[in-house]
Amino acid sequence: MDGIHDLGGKDGFGPVPVDTPDFQHDWERRQWALSEIAAAPGGTIDWWRHGIECMAPMAYLSLPYFEKWCLNEMAHYVDQGVFSTDEVLAGHPDAPGEPARSFNAEASLQFARRFNISYAVEMSTGPEFELGDEVRTINTPVSGHTRLPGYARGHTGRVVAYHGGHLFPDAGARGTHEGGHLYTVEFTASELWGEDSPDAVCIDLWEAYLVRA
Amino acid sequence: MASYDSDKIGKLHRHLHTHLPSDPALRVKALESLLVEKGIVAQDSIDAWVELYAEQIGPKRGATVVARSWLDPEFRDRLLEDAGQAIKEFGFEGHATEHLKAVENTREVHNLVVCTLCSCYPFAVLGVSPIWYRSAAYRSRAVKEPRAVLDEFGVTLPEETRVRVWDSTAELRYLVVPERPAGTEDWTEDQLSALVTRNAMIGTERDLKVA
Repeated sequence: MDGIHDLGGKDGFGPVPVDTPDFQHDWERRQWALSEIAAAPGGTIDWWRHGIECMAPMAYLSLPYFEKWCLNEMAHYVDQGVFSTDEVLAGHPDAPGEPARSFNAEASLQFARRFNISYAVEMSTGPEFELGDEVRTINTPVSGHTRLPGYARGHTGRVVAYHGGHLFPDAGARGTHEGGHLYTVEFTASELWGEDSPDAVCIDLWEAYLVRA
Repeated sequence: MASYDSDKIGKLHRHLHTHLPSDPALRVKALESLLVEKGIVAQDSIDAWVELYAEQIGPKRGATVVARSWLDPEFRDRLLEDAGQAIKEFGFEGHATEHLKAVENTREVHNLVVCTLCSCYPFAVLGVSPIWYRSAAYRSRAVKEPRAVLDEFGVTLPEETRVRVWDSTAELRYLVVPERPAGTEDWTEDQLSALVTRNAMIGTERDLKVA
Protein backbone atom coordinates (compact mmCIF):
# COMPACT_ATOMS: atom_id res chain seq x y z
CA MET A 1 0.00 0.00 0.00
CA ASP A 2 1.41 3.36 -1.00
CA GLY A 3 0.58 4.79 2.42
CA ILE A 4 2.06 7.18 4.91
CA HIS A 5 3.76 4.30 6.77
CA ASP A 6 6.25 3.88 3.93
CA LEU A 7 8.66 6.40 5.40
CA GLY A 8 12.05 5.40 3.98
CA GLY A 9 13.74 8.32 2.21
CA LYS A 10 11.06 10.90 3.02
CA ASP A 11 12.38 14.34 3.94
CA GLY A 12 11.29 16.89 6.50
CA PHE A 13 11.03 14.98 9.77
CA GLY A 14 13.95 16.82 11.33
CA PRO A 15 16.51 15.46 13.78
CA VAL A 16 16.18 12.02 15.37
CA PRO A 17 14.98 12.40 18.99
CA VAL A 18 18.17 10.77 20.28
CA ASP A 19 17.91 12.15 23.79
CA THR A 20 14.32 11.09 24.47
CA PRO A 21 14.43 9.18 27.76
CA ASP A 22 13.63 5.49 27.63
CA PHE A 23 10.76 6.00 30.01
CA GLN A 24 7.64 4.02 29.22
CA HIS A 25 4.22 4.97 30.52
CA ASP A 26 2.41 2.30 32.45
CA TRP A 27 -0.23 2.15 29.69
CA GLU A 28 2.50 1.46 27.13
CA ARG A 29 3.84 -1.48 29.13
CA ARG A 30 0.31 -2.82 29.54
CA GLN A 31 -0.50 -2.42 25.84
CA TRP A 32 2.66 -4.34 24.97
CA ALA A 33 1.46 -7.12 27.27
CA LEU A 34 -2.05 -7.11 25.81
CA SER A 35 -0.77 -7.28 22.24
CA GLU A 36 1.50 -10.18 23.16
CA ILE A 37 -0.64 -12.35 25.35
CA ALA A 38 -4.11 -11.38 24.17
CA ALA A 39 -3.65 -10.48 20.51
CA ALA A 40 -6.81 -10.51 18.42
CA PRO A 41 -7.31 -14.14 17.40
CA GLY A 42 -7.07 -15.43 13.85
CA GLY A 43 -5.75 -13.26 11.10
CA THR A 44 -2.11 -13.16 10.02
CA ILE A 45 0.83 -10.98 11.03
CA ASP A 46 0.60 -9.14 7.73
CA TRP A 47 -3.12 -8.48 8.07
CA TRP A 48 -2.36 -7.09 11.55
CA ARG A 49 0.37 -4.82 10.14
CA HIS A 50 -1.89 -3.77 7.29
CA GLY A 51 -4.49 -2.67 9.85
CA ILE A 52 -2.06 -0.03 11.17
CA GLU A 53 -1.26 1.06 7.61
CA CYS A 54 -4.97 1.70 7.06
CA MET A 55 -5.17 4.30 9.86
CA ALA A 56 -5.82 7.89 8.79
CA PRO A 57 -2.40 9.35 7.83
CA MET A 58 -2.64 12.22 10.34
CA ALA A 59 -3.31 9.74 13.15
CA TYR A 60 -0.53 7.46 11.94
CA LEU A 61 2.03 10.24 12.18
CA SER A 62 0.84 11.80 15.42
CA LEU A 63 -0.18 8.97 17.76
CA PRO A 64 2.32 7.23 20.05
CA TYR A 65 3.42 3.81 18.84
CA PHE A 66 1.57 1.74 21.44
CA GLU A 67 -1.59 3.79 21.05
CA LYS A 68 -1.62 2.69 17.41
CA TRP A 69 -1.27 -0.88 18.61
CA CYS A 70 -4.20 -0.37 20.98
CA LEU A 71 -6.47 0.99 18.26
CA ASN A 72 -5.36 -1.78 15.94
CA GLU A 73 -6.20 -4.51 18.45
CA MET A 74 -9.60 -2.92 18.98
CA ALA A 75 -10.26 -2.64 15.23
CA HIS A 76 -9.25 -6.28 14.72
CA TYR A 77 -11.42 -7.52 17.59
CA VAL A 78 -14.40 -5.73 16.04
CA ASP A 79 -13.51 -6.90 12.53
CA GLN A 80 -13.50 -10.49 13.76
CA GLY A 81 -16.80 -10.13 15.56
CA VAL A 82 -15.41 -10.74 19.08
CA PHE A 83 -16.64 -7.34 20.27
CA SER A 84 -19.05 -4.81 18.79
CA THR A 85 -17.97 -1.20 18.23
CA ASP A 86 -20.33 -0.19 21.05
CA GLU A 87 -18.70 -2.61 23.47
CA VAL A 88 -15.27 -1.19 22.62
CA LEU A 89 -16.45 2.39 23.05
CA ALA A 90 -18.08 1.45 26.39
CA GLY A 91 -14.93 -0.39 27.53
CA HIS A 92 -17.01 -3.31 28.81
CA PRO A 93 -18.44 -6.43 27.14
CA ASP A 94 -22.25 -6.82 27.10
CA ALA A 95 -21.89 -10.31 28.54
CA PRO A 96 -18.89 -11.04 30.79
CA GLY A 97 -17.17 -14.41 30.34
CA GLU A 98 -15.58 -16.88 32.75
CA PRO A 99 -12.36 -15.37 34.15
CA ALA A 100 -9.29 -16.45 32.18
CA ARG A 101 -6.67 -18.65 33.83
CA SER A 102 -3.79 -16.53 35.05
CA PHE A 103 -0.13 -17.35 34.81
CA ASN A 104 2.73 -16.24 37.00
CA ALA A 105 6.21 -14.83 36.27
CA GLU A 106 7.87 -18.19 35.64
CA ALA A 107 5.06 -19.31 33.34
CA SER A 108 5.33 -15.99 31.45
CA LEU A 109 9.04 -16.51 30.92
CA GLN A 110 8.43 -19.93 29.39
CA PHE A 111 5.46 -18.59 27.44
CA ALA A 112 7.64 -15.77 26.00
CA ARG A 113 10.03 -18.34 24.51
CA ARG A 114 7.21 -19.74 22.41
CA PHE A 115 6.88 -16.48 20.48
CA ASN A 116 9.81 -17.42 18.25
CA ILE A 117 7.43 -18.14 15.40
CA SER A 118 8.91 -19.45 12.16
CA TYR A 119 7.71 -17.88 8.94
CA ALA A 120 9.58 -20.36 6.78
CA VAL A 121 7.53 -22.07 4.07
CA GLU A 122 8.52 -25.18 2.16
CA MET A 123 8.76 -24.34 -1.55
CA SER A 124 7.95 -26.75 -4.37
CA THR A 125 10.17 -24.93 -6.87
CA GLY A 126 13.75 -23.71 -6.62
CA PRO A 127 14.79 -20.06 -6.36
CA GLU A 128 15.10 -18.03 -9.55
CA PHE A 129 18.16 -16.09 -8.44
CA GLU A 130 21.58 -16.94 -7.06
CA LEU A 131 23.97 -15.07 -4.80
CA GLY A 132 25.68 -12.33 -6.77
CA ASP A 133 22.88 -11.96 -9.34
CA GLU A 134 21.92 -8.46 -10.38
CA VAL A 135 18.19 -7.93 -9.87
CA ARG A 136 15.82 -5.01 -10.39
CA THR A 137 12.80 -4.32 -8.20
CA ILE A 138 9.40 -3.93 -9.79
CA ASN A 139 7.91 -0.46 -9.84
CA THR A 140 4.15 -0.85 -9.67
CA PRO A 141 1.69 0.94 -7.39
CA VAL A 142 0.27 -1.47 -4.81
CA SER A 143 -3.15 -0.95 -3.22
CA GLY A 144 -2.88 -3.77 -0.66
CA HIS A 145 -0.13 -4.70 1.78
CA THR A 146 3.41 -5.08 0.50
CA ARG A 147 6.88 -5.10 2.02
CA LEU A 148 8.66 -3.60 -0.98
CA PRO A 149 9.38 -0.05 0.23
CA GLY A 150 8.68 2.80 -2.17
CA TYR A 151 12.24 4.12 -2.09
CA ALA A 152 13.55 0.79 -3.36
CA ARG A 153 11.23 0.41 -6.34
CA GLY A 154 12.63 0.30 -9.86
CA HIS A 155 16.22 0.00 -8.63
CA THR A 156 19.00 -2.45 -9.37
CA GLY A 157 20.82 -4.33 -6.63
CA ARG A 158 22.77 -7.49 -5.98
CA VAL A 159 21.55 -10.63 -4.22
CA VAL A 160 23.73 -11.08 -1.10
CA ALA A 161 21.73 -13.75 0.77
CA TYR A 162 19.02 -16.32 0.14
CA HIS A 163 16.75 -17.39 3.00
CA GLY A 164 14.57 -20.11 1.50
CA GLY A 165 10.79 -19.79 1.32
CA HIS A 166 9.06 -17.34 3.66
CA LEU A 167 5.40 -16.45 4.06
CA PHE A 168 4.61 -13.90 1.34
CA PRO A 169 3.20 -10.77 3.07
CA ASP A 170 1.15 -9.47 0.14
CA ALA A 171 -0.83 -12.74 0.18
CA GLY A 172 -0.75 -13.09 3.98
CA ALA A 173 -2.55 -9.76 4.37
CA ARG A 174 -5.34 -11.21 2.20
CA GLY A 175 -5.56 -14.30 4.41
CA THR A 176 -3.71 -16.59 2.00
CA HIS A 177 -0.90 -18.78 3.29
CA GLU A 178 1.56 -18.65 0.42
CA GLY A 179 5.34 -18.89 0.35
CA GLY A 180 7.85 -16.96 -1.74
CA HIS A 181 11.62 -17.18 -2.08
CA LEU A 182 13.19 -14.55 0.15
CA TYR A 183 16.49 -12.80 -0.56
CA THR A 184 18.56 -9.99 0.88
CA VAL A 185 19.38 -7.53 -1.89
CA GLU A 186 22.09 -4.93 -1.45
CA PHE A 187 21.60 -1.58 -3.19
CA THR A 188 24.36 0.99 -3.35
CA ALA A 189 23.49 4.37 -1.91
CA SER A 190 24.50 5.86 -5.26
CA GLU A 191 21.88 3.72 -7.02
CA LEU A 192 19.11 4.65 -4.57
CA TRP A 193 19.87 8.31 -3.96
CA GLY A 194 22.01 9.36 -6.90
CA GLU A 195 24.87 10.53 -4.72
CA ASP A 196 28.47 9.47 -4.76
CA SER A 197 28.73 7.34 -1.63
CA PRO A 198 30.49 4.17 -0.44
CA ASP A 199 27.41 3.17 1.59
CA ALA A 200 24.70 0.61 0.87
CA VAL A 201 21.24 -0.47 1.98
CA CYS A 202 20.34 -4.16 2.37
CA ILE A 203 16.65 -5.01 2.03
CA ASP A 204 14.89 -8.36 2.50
CA LEU A 205 12.81 -8.90 -0.62
CA TRP A 206 10.61 -11.66 -1.99
CA GLU A 207 11.10 -13.06 -5.47
CA ALA A 208 7.78 -11.59 -6.68
CA TYR A 209 9.30 -8.11 -6.19
CA LEU A 210 12.30 -8.86 -8.40
CA VAL A 211 13.20 -9.29 -12.05
CA ARG A 212 16.56 -10.11 -13.56
CA ALA A 213 18.49 -6.91 -14.27
CA MET B 1 -13.05 -14.56 11.09
CA ALA B 2 -10.91 -11.70 9.84
CA SER B 3 -12.41 -9.83 6.89
CA TYR B 4 -9.10 -9.07 5.12
CA ASP B 5 -10.90 -5.98 3.84
CA SER B 6 -8.67 -2.86 3.85
CA ASP B 7 -11.60 -0.45 3.58
CA LYS B 8 -13.39 -2.07 6.51
CA ILE B 9 -10.39 -2.05 8.84
CA GLY B 10 -9.56 1.55 7.84
CA LYS B 11 -13.13 2.61 8.57
CA LEU B 12 -13.04 0.90 11.98
CA HIS B 13 -9.78 2.65 12.81
CA ARG B 14 -11.19 6.07 11.95
CA HIS B 15 -14.43 5.43 13.83
CA LEU B 16 -12.68 4.27 17.01
CA HIS B 17 -10.10 7.04 16.94
CA THR B 18 -12.84 9.66 16.54
CA HIS B 19 -15.15 8.33 19.25
CA LEU B 20 -12.87 7.02 21.98
CA PRO B 21 -11.60 9.38 24.70
CA SER B 22 -8.38 10.95 23.44
CA ASP B 23 -6.17 9.96 26.40
CA PRO B 24 -4.17 6.84 25.36
CA ALA B 25 -4.15 5.58 28.96
CA LEU B 26 -7.96 5.47 28.89
CA ARG B 27 -7.94 3.70 25.54
CA VAL B 28 -5.64 0.97 26.79
CA LYS B 29 -7.66 0.71 29.99
CA ALA B 30 -10.81 0.17 27.90
CA LEU B 31 -9.13 -2.61 25.92
CA GLU B 32 -7.79 -4.21 29.09
CA SER B 33 -11.21 -4.13 30.79
CA LEU B 34 -12.87 -5.65 27.75
CA LEU B 35 -10.38 -8.50 27.55
CA VAL B 36 -10.32 -9.21 31.27
CA GLU B 37 -14.10 -9.06 31.72
CA LYS B 38 -14.68 -11.23 28.67
CA GLY B 39 -12.28 -13.82 30.11
CA ILE B 40 -9.74 -13.55 27.29
CA VAL B 41 -6.85 -12.63 29.56
CA ALA B 42 -6.34 -12.43 33.34
CA GLN B 43 -5.19 -9.29 35.12
CA ASP B 44 -2.41 -11.24 36.86
CA SER B 45 -1.06 -12.44 33.52
CA ILE B 46 -0.79 -8.85 32.26
CA ASP B 47 1.03 -7.85 35.47
CA ALA B 48 3.38 -10.82 35.12
CA TRP B 49 4.18 -9.89 31.50
CA VAL B 50 4.87 -6.26 32.38
CA GLU B 51 7.20 -7.47 35.13
CA LEU B 52 8.92 -9.88 32.76
CA TYR B 53 9.85 -7.13 30.32
CA ALA B 54 10.83 -4.77 33.13
CA GLU B 55 13.07 -7.27 34.91
CA GLN B 56 14.26 -10.02 32.61
CA ILE B 57 13.84 -9.39 28.90
CA GLY B 58 15.96 -6.50 27.68
CA PRO B 59 19.27 -5.48 26.09
CA LYS B 60 21.26 -7.38 28.74
CA ARG B 61 20.37 -10.50 26.83
CA GLY B 62 21.80 -9.18 23.57
CA ALA B 63 24.89 -7.96 25.44
CA THR B 64 25.47 -11.44 26.86
CA VAL B 65 25.27 -12.91 23.36
CA VAL B 66 27.74 -10.34 22.00
CA ALA B 67 30.21 -10.88 24.86
CA ARG B 68 30.07 -14.65 24.36
CA SER B 69 30.81 -14.22 20.65
CA TRP B 70 33.95 -12.23 21.55
CA LEU B 71 35.18 -14.91 23.94
CA ASP B 72 34.20 -18.11 22.17
CA PRO B 73 35.14 -18.35 18.47
CA GLU B 74 32.98 -21.44 17.97
CA PHE B 75 29.97 -19.68 19.40
CA ARG B 76 30.76 -16.69 17.17
CA ASP B 77 30.65 -19.00 14.13
CA ARG B 78 27.29 -20.41 15.21
CA LEU B 79 25.95 -16.90 15.84
CA LEU B 80 26.96 -15.63 12.41
CA GLU B 81 25.66 -18.80 10.78
CA ASP B 82 22.21 -18.71 12.44
CA ALA B 83 21.68 -16.28 15.30
CA GLY B 84 18.09 -17.47 15.82
CA GLN B 85 19.45 -20.91 16.72
CA ALA B 86 22.51 -19.67 18.62
CA ILE B 87 20.52 -17.62 21.14
CA LYS B 88 18.57 -20.74 22.08
CA GLU B 89 21.73 -21.85 23.91
CA PHE B 90 20.79 -19.14 26.44
CA GLY B 91 17.03 -19.72 26.29
CA PHE B 92 16.70 -16.21 24.83
CA GLU B 93 14.48 -17.16 21.91
CA GLY B 94 11.10 -15.43 21.73
CA HIS B 95 9.27 -12.65 19.97
CA ALA B 96 10.81 -11.93 16.54
CA THR B 97 13.99 -13.96 16.92
CA GLU B 98 13.39 -17.15 14.96
CA HIS B 99 14.99 -15.57 11.89
CA LEU B 100 17.56 -13.46 13.73
CA LYS B 101 20.77 -12.51 11.88
CA ALA B 102 23.93 -11.21 13.52
CA VAL B 103 26.00 -8.71 11.54
CA GLU B 104 29.50 -7.82 12.72
CA ASN B 105 31.09 -4.42 12.64
CA THR B 106 34.65 -4.31 11.33
CA ARG B 107 37.13 -1.58 10.51
CA GLU B 108 35.69 -1.55 6.97
CA VAL B 109 31.96 -1.91 7.66
CA HIS B 110 29.57 -0.31 10.11
CA ASN B 111 26.09 -1.85 10.35
CA LEU B 112 22.93 0.10 11.12
CA VAL B 113 19.46 -1.42 11.57
CA VAL B 114 16.11 0.22 10.78
CA CYS B 115 12.57 -0.76 9.83
CA THR B 116 11.26 1.86 7.43
CA LEU B 117 7.80 0.27 7.00
CA CYS B 118 6.83 -0.22 10.66
CA SER B 119 9.22 -0.66 13.59
CA CYS B 120 10.28 -4.31 13.52
CA TYR B 121 12.70 -5.09 16.33
CA PRO B 122 14.19 -8.22 17.96
CA PHE B 123 12.21 -7.83 21.19
CA ALA B 124 13.31 -11.05 22.88
CA VAL B 125 17.00 -10.07 22.83
CA LEU B 126 16.76 -6.26 23.10
CA GLY B 127 13.47 -5.65 24.95
CA VAL B 128 11.00 -3.01 23.79
CA SER B 129 12.40 -0.61 21.18
CA PRO B 130 13.54 2.90 22.14
CA ILE B 131 11.36 5.84 21.13
CA TRP B 132 13.88 7.19 18.63
CA TYR B 133 13.92 3.84 16.80
CA ARG B 134 10.17 4.16 16.09
CA SER B 135 10.34 7.86 15.23
CA ALA B 136 9.46 9.05 11.72
CA ALA B 137 12.80 10.91 11.61
CA TYR B 138 14.86 7.76 12.18
CA ARG B 139 12.74 5.56 9.93
CA SER B 140 12.81 8.05 7.05
CA ARG B 141 16.45 9.14 7.27
CA ALA B 142 18.45 6.05 8.32
CA VAL B 143 18.36 4.63 4.78
CA LYS B 144 18.97 7.91 2.98
CA GLU B 145 21.51 9.73 5.11
CA PRO B 146 22.90 7.24 7.63
CA ARG B 147 26.03 9.29 8.28
CA ALA B 148 24.01 12.38 9.23
CA VAL B 149 21.87 10.23 11.53
CA LEU B 150 24.96 8.65 13.11
CA ASP B 151 26.41 12.11 13.61
CA GLU B 152 23.34 13.02 15.69
CA PHE B 153 24.17 10.03 17.91
CA GLY B 154 27.74 11.32 18.22
CA VAL B 155 29.23 8.72 15.88
CA THR B 156 31.70 9.93 13.26
CA LEU B 157 32.95 7.26 10.92
CA PRO B 158 36.40 7.17 9.37
CA GLU B 159 36.30 7.62 5.60
CA GLU B 160 37.40 4.05 4.94
CA THR B 161 34.42 2.68 6.89
CA ARG B 162 31.42 1.91 4.76
CA VAL B 163 27.88 1.96 6.21
CA ARG B 164 25.62 -1.00 5.55
CA VAL B 165 22.03 -0.19 6.51
CA TRP B 166 19.71 -3.16 7.10
CA ASP B 167 16.05 -2.35 6.43
CA SER B 168 14.20 -5.23 8.10
CA THR B 169 11.29 -5.51 5.69
CA ALA B 170 10.71 -9.26 6.20
CA GLU B 171 10.56 -11.46 9.34
CA LEU B 172 14.35 -11.42 9.59
CA ARG B 173 15.67 -9.35 12.47
CA TYR B 174 19.16 -7.97 12.83
CA LEU B 175 21.54 -7.76 15.78
CA VAL B 176 24.68 -5.70 15.31
CA VAL B 177 27.79 -7.20 16.91
CA PRO B 178 30.06 -4.27 17.79
CA GLU B 179 33.85 -4.56 17.81
CA ARG B 180 35.46 -5.66 21.05
CA PRO B 181 37.29 -2.68 22.54
CA ALA B 182 41.05 -2.81 22.91
CA GLY B 183 42.39 -3.32 26.42
CA THR B 184 39.77 -5.93 27.40
CA GLU B 185 41.86 -9.01 26.59
CA ASP B 186 41.61 -10.64 30.01
CA TRP B 187 38.07 -9.54 30.83
CA THR B 188 35.31 -11.95 31.87
CA GLU B 189 32.04 -12.39 30.03
CA ASP B 190 30.20 -10.38 32.69
CA GLN B 191 32.67 -7.51 32.46
CA LEU B 192 32.48 -7.51 28.68
CA SER B 193 28.71 -7.69 28.46
CA ALA B 194 28.45 -4.65 30.75
CA LEU B 195 30.17 -2.62 27.99
CA VAL B 196 27.67 -3.52 25.28
CA THR B 197 24.91 -0.94 24.96
CA ARG B 198 21.55 -1.34 23.30
CA ASN B 199 22.36 1.37 20.76
CA ALA B 200 25.57 -0.46 19.80
CA MET B 201 23.47 -3.52 18.96
CA ILE B 202 21.24 -1.40 16.69
CA GLY B 203 24.25 0.40 15.22
CA THR B 204 23.77 3.95 16.51
CA GLU B 205 26.82 3.62 18.73
CA ARG B 206 30.18 2.34 17.48
CA ASP B 207 33.17 2.52 19.79
CA LEU B 208 32.28 0.98 23.13
CA LYS B 209 33.63 2.86 26.12
CA VAL B 210 35.99 1.11 28.50
CA ALA B 211 35.75 2.81 31.88
